[in-house]
Amino acid sequence: MKGRHFREWSVAAVLGLVLAALAVSAPDFYQPRQLAAMLTETAPILLLACGMSLVILCRQIDISVGSQFAVCGVAAGLMAQQGTPMPVVAVVSVLSGAAFGAFNGMLVAGLGLPSIVVTLATMVTWREALRWWREGEYVRDLPTGFQWFGLSQELGQGTLLAIAVCIFLGLAVALRHLAGGRYIYAVGSDAEAARLAGINPRWITFGVFVLMGALAGLAALVSAVRFPDVDPKAGTGHELRAIAAAVVGGVAITGGRGNLWGVLAGALLLAIIAPALVFWGAPPQWERAIQGGIILTAVAADGWRKRKEPR
Amino acid sequence: MKIAWKQIVWRPETLLLAVFVAEFVIFAQTGNNFTSTSNLFEIARLSVTIGLLALAMTPVILTGGIDLSVGSLLGLCAVCFGKLWRDFGLPPLLAAVCTLVIGALAGGLNAALITRLRLPPLIVTLGSYSLFRGLAEALTRGVDNFTGFPASFLFLGQGYLFGVIPAQVPIFLAAAIAIWLLVHCTVFGRSYRAIGFSPEGARFAGLPVESRIASVYLLSGVMAAVAALIYVAHVGQAKADAGSGFELLAVTAVVLGGTSIFGGVGTVQGTVLGLGVLAVLRNGLFMSDQPSELANILTGALLLFILAGGVAVEKLSALRARRSAPVPPLSHE
Repeated sequence: MKGRHFREWSVAAVLGLVLAALAVSAPDFYQPRQLAAMLTETAPILLLACGMSLVILCRQIDISVGSQFAVCGVAAGLMAQQGTPMPVVAVVSVLSGAAFGAFNGMLVAGLGLPSIVVTLATMVTWREALRWWREGEYVRDLPTGFQWFGLSQELGQGTLLAIAVCIFLGLAVALRHLAGGRYIYAVGSDAEAARLAGINPRWITFGVFVLMGALAGLAALVSAVRFPDVDPKAGTGHELRAIAAAVVGGVAITGGRGNLWGVLAGALLLAIIAPALVFWGAPPQWERAIQGGIILTAVAADGWRKRKEPR
Repeated sequence: MKIAWKQIVWRPETLLLAVFVAEFVIFAQTGNNFTSTSNLFEIARLSVTIGLLALAMTPVILTGGIDLSVGSLLGLCAVCFGKLWRDFGLPPLLAAVCTLVIGALAGGLNAALITRLRLPPLIVTLGSYSLFRGLAEALTRGVDNFTGFPASFLFLGQGYLFGVIPAQVPIFLAAAIAIWLLVHCTVFGRSYRAIGFSPEGARFAGLPVESRIASVYLLSGVMAAVAALIYVAHVGQAKADAGSGFELLAVTAVVLGGTSIFGGVGTVQGTVLGLGVLAVLRNGLFMSDQPSELANILTGALLLFILAGGVAVEKLSALRARRSAPVPPLSHE
């Protein structure tokens, strides 16, 4: 099978198989409450993975998103604590994320520094600055309007999922059909060719980092409102979860290849492992090992397919 | 022969050496007992584990790759060592040898995926990062903790030679000299830089690119196992979360030492210097009663500063070269 979206479909097929197996062996998995809990837990990761996919499509990487996520979450919590109305909290969370992204983008696109080292440095710096400032303290005593936006749990979960789905659909469509989306592919495939075609690769690169930061801010908010208080350690390791979802979903680390539908399948496949292990009665400690195995299998399958093609 | 002072002064290592000296001067003033011999040896002891990982990371990055799995592999090796010793009743020496074999196998897995299937190292080692840590968690069920190792083994991490020198420091020195000789003085090791500079060019020059790349990941795996043994001997216990985040500290030390993350440029002595700067910063701030968070923040800032400084120097010298050239050189763009 040599279809254009073979990779995306095969991930979706694996996901379908796991879902079908769960339907046969553990129908309890499909209880609405259980599904809603799993999906709302995945929503922040999906948002991060969408942003990360854009960054990787542009042939960059951002490993500071977990730290941005933590800082934005704490900032949102503190503002809500002061009695700021929730819409303002949401806007500030997104904007502060965008500011972090702009800082990365400035160093990467402006000075031409390697993104993996820049974001390694900012990852450590933001995370540690937060620890220094808050000393690991939870943000407690949040107003009732914070958790689930002051709605009932079901309505709150619905709102979160609606936000995630809208952002996902918007980005997926924009990436496929808008000029700005195609520019990202162009820059990621060949920055010099893109420049000759009249695209400014620096602004595109800067833009994806800002967008990544904004999505990290939004993801932090979406994640924080699920709990009665804000954990300053939230988001540790989220950068790797986001990259893993993108890679499993078929986004090539060498830039310019992949789409968000694959990323959706990848994020769901990685997220379903933990509940699946529980429902199948397997020890949950295997989750990380299985996730690693999935990543390696996915990229190894890629390499295997490419090896057969004439070079 | 005229010494090219300008070239020496503007090297990243010189900048780093200046930072290193400045740290010493500042902390000698602010820290209690910072300059005492025992404290300086303590700095050396604390940086051996990360140092071994960073030493092995240098050839990896020189070839243009990266190995994110070393911290997880350290955890896996520590747990395997504990399990072999306690649950399988092997003597510590035999268990250590088996641990080294496990490290080599894990490094070989990375190497095989990267060279046989031509996959990007970042993604392969990201996958094995999850896999190795996950296996460590699965082996211990996330809670098991191995302790009570015999004193003869703990000497490796806690003992002193001649009463002053921490036992693991000679191991680190031997590893540093061996890797320095490999990278800078052998034809085999010098090919790492050729490969990092241009893999295609190296292939056309007749170098066995695949097997050379495989060798750096194998070395990295074995070194992670060695670091695991020393780590376990130092802290006296082996848990599944041993070595979390060490891969990033190792990469930081290497990049701080002037090795280009794109490969082809860098030295082993630079890595040792980068490691020294990190270790002294951490210890000096601790001795000056400053929080450890500040040390981490300054590490991040220092990394950005050194990188941006390198770029600024490059641009400046390019500008000067253009001005002094009588005929404008042909543009490469």
